[in-house]
Amino acid sequence: MAMTDTRSEADAPAADGAAPATDSDAITDVFGNGDHKAIGRLWIFSAALFLLGGLVANVIAGFEQANLDGFEIAKDGDQFVQLWSLGRDLIMFGGVVPLLVGLAIYVVPLQIGASALAFSRGAATAFWIWLVSTGILILSYIMNGGPRGGRTDYVVLWSLALGVMLGAIVWALICIATTILGARTHGMSLEKAPVSAWGFFTFAIVGILALPIVMGELLLAFLDVRYGYLPTDASRDTLLSVLDSVSIAPAIYWLGIPVLGIAVEAISVHTGKPVRFHRSAMAALGILAVYTFAGDFLSFSTRGRPIAFDNGAYVVLILLSSIPVLSVLGLAGESLKTGSPKVRTPLAAGMAGGLLLLAATGASVLTAVAPIVGFLNTNFDAGINLDSAWNLAGSSFHEGIRGIVIASAVLGAIAGVNHWGHKIWGRSVEDRLGMLATLATVAGGLVWGVPLIITGFLSPDRFSATGGIVEDGVEILNLISAIGTALVAGGAALLLLQVLGASAGRGSSVEPWSGLTLEWATTSPPPIGNFATAPIVSSATPLADDDFDLAVVRTGTAAPTGSGATDSDASDETKAADAEPAEVTAGGDA
Amino acid sequence: MTTTDVSVFDVIPERVAAASPARPRLLVIGTMFASAAVAMGMAGLLGIYLETRADVIAEGERWLPNGVVIPLTQPNMMAITLLLSVFAMVWAVASIKTDDRPNTYIALGLALMFGLAYITQTAYLLTIMEMPIRGDVLERPPLLFALIGTHIVIMLAAMLYAVAMGVRTLGGDYNSKDVEGLYGATTFWTVAVVLYLAVWYAIYITK
Repeated sequence: MAMTDTRSEADAPAADGAAPATDSDAITDVFGNGDHKAIGRLWIFSAALFLLGGLVANVIAGFEQANLDGFEIAKDGDQFVQLWSLGRDLIMFGGVVPLLVGLAIYVVPLQIGASALAFSRGAATAFWIWLVSTGILILSYIMNGGPRGGRTDYVVLWSLALGVMLGAIVWALICIATTILGARTHGMSLEKAPVSAWGFFTFAIVGILALPIVMGELLLAFLDVRYGYLPTDASRDTLLSVLDSVSIAPAIYWLGIPVLGIAVEAISVHTGKPVRFHRSAMAALGILAVYTFAGDFLSFSTRGRPIAFDNGAYVVLILLSSIPVLSVLGLAGESLKTGSPKVRTPLAAGMAGGLLLLAATGASVLTAVAPIVGFLNTNFDAGINLDSAWNLAGSSFHEGIRGIVIASAVLGAIAGVNHWGHKIWGRSVEDRLGMLATLATVAGGLVWGVPLIITGFLSPDRFSATGGIVEDGVEILNLISAIGTALVAGGAALLLLQVLGASAGRGSSVEPWSGLTLEWATTSPPPIGNFATAPIVSSATPLADDDFDLAVVRTGTAAPTGSGATDSDASDETKAADAEPAEVTAGGDA
Repeated sequence: MTTTDVSVFDVIPERVAAASPARPRLLVIGTMFASAAVAMGMAGLLGIYLETRADVIAEGERWLPNGVVIPLTQPNMMAITLLLSVFAMVWAVASIKTDDRPNTYIALGLALMFGLAYITQTAYLLTIMEMPIRGDVLERPPLLFALIGTHIVIMLAAMLYAVAMGVRTLGGDYNSKDVEGLYGATTFWTVAVVLYLAVWYAIYITK
């Protein structure tokens, strides 16, 4: 079967009356197959592992910045930068982004009623390439490579490995975007797709367009180092800026797009009240995607120079980026107000992730103060004296914003894993662990980010700009920030525990809740091919529609007369769930 | 019963199964996304090249080192060759639409030959340019080689794609009812040629 084919080897819908094929056995659990669910699980598990590793590296780097007596893992400034850079690379492209990619690969085909992921073999290949290249990236750092690396061969290897990682992620994003655009089931226009699927779609589009630019920069870094244009460790400092175009606000809000989508989905299900103004929420996510891509472009255009935040486009982007986030949260808040919210991990983590993103976009507005005052002084002779501390370009302020956004993305992943956990593993993930992970990540995100934001006003330097560790009285803030990072790492560790527990078959087999979108129209976990017959939808909440025949979609045969859309006889798990106090029709609990 | 009494023929049964939906053109959609990604990568490199060159020239220095000349003959020939290759790819699609397999294979073969000609011509151009990749003769020689090399890789990918789709056509996957594979290959090929035209103008023409 060719890589360009879409159907997995055994994804044909089960014949009428035949028991649906199962997709899980020891071999596919380890190596995967052409089924998007096995591939998605592999991405999720591996990414959770690398996320934890990256956060631990950042925690160690954070304690180094605090200059604690007796704590000295990095021998010098170069090693410190390498450690910090390893953490950043792993958190973003070994952890958060692949985790969201894995969720999308698993959930999106179910949500749009597709029997398979587009180019599923391609997605599997992308996973293995990403996994191997992430391993090589870690190896390159161990061998004294990466930015400020001392061994040229391994600096070259770092740029190559990171470039290949990004390429594999782009490949997977193409599979996701193509699935959403071309494999939706009958009657499902884009506007009837779930908000989270739309969030994953816009996330994929921005990634497809933005990451190749970074790959181009990495190619140049590869050639520059290989042919002696960056001969010294210090000159290789410039390699740190390669990832800036996607890791500094407003470009970093890219990570928040799927978080908001997942939040809307979780709120719809756990309040029993689907978010009204579905299309408005989608429009807001689309606008945020446009902002983040414009941010990528803007950061790229200032490449090789101190990031100049003094142009009009930047100011406009920064001032406006809170609005779409606020819009989505406002629409979701209406469901919270009018529905019956159940305090569970998906709801708590989804809301907290959205609010952290809002906090980050709000705090970023501070970076626009200096450009605005400069504009007023220049054009209107306003005579406003602004302290130089407000010139935040290049300072740790942006690292603070990044920390909060990363925590927001981790919360999105926690919400997604908990919300669809039973769909993914056929077992409920441990909710108490999820709540604990949520609390740790929310607290950690704020404690990680806020001290660095304050430090940005106290010191104009990002640590790298001074060629070493900042030693100007901000150590205590750095220490607090390191503790915050450790808390987020704790949240990531709990998430990994949840994944391991559910993979090992712990947890209840009873589906804990149900929703009104198509992923809830199939068994849990779904069979290969996902649905017995392709669903036909006529609204954004098909399971609430009178004309939606759930039994046919699940089993391929019509339900006995009198069965409603939600009276499924598809699985024992659902039967048991239906026996419990139910509010199924409202999109809430099973 | 007479044959003119059409009412007795069950031309359209009362219960007709719904027509199966048209197969979505996933390969074409995926190719378009891949083409967009490739175009963005090249656009980024081109942007860096033009910016760096403008900075060097603004400082009153020469961009190309002494002794290095970029001739126009080869780049122009390459542009014409690649434009012809697009016509060949379109010819392949048009032929398979009429199930004219011999013409499809001839057109694909011609396109691949043009692609190969482009690569060999580029290798020759780099040889006669005598542009060193190391040394202090140009601020960033790797920039020029990154652009040219990346485009060669893109062109090789387009050729591999065309070969793969040609083989699938040979195997019967594609015919007049389904030209998706060849259409996708042609799309990617065309994008690769457009990207060459950008490189041609930025590097070879404006120097």
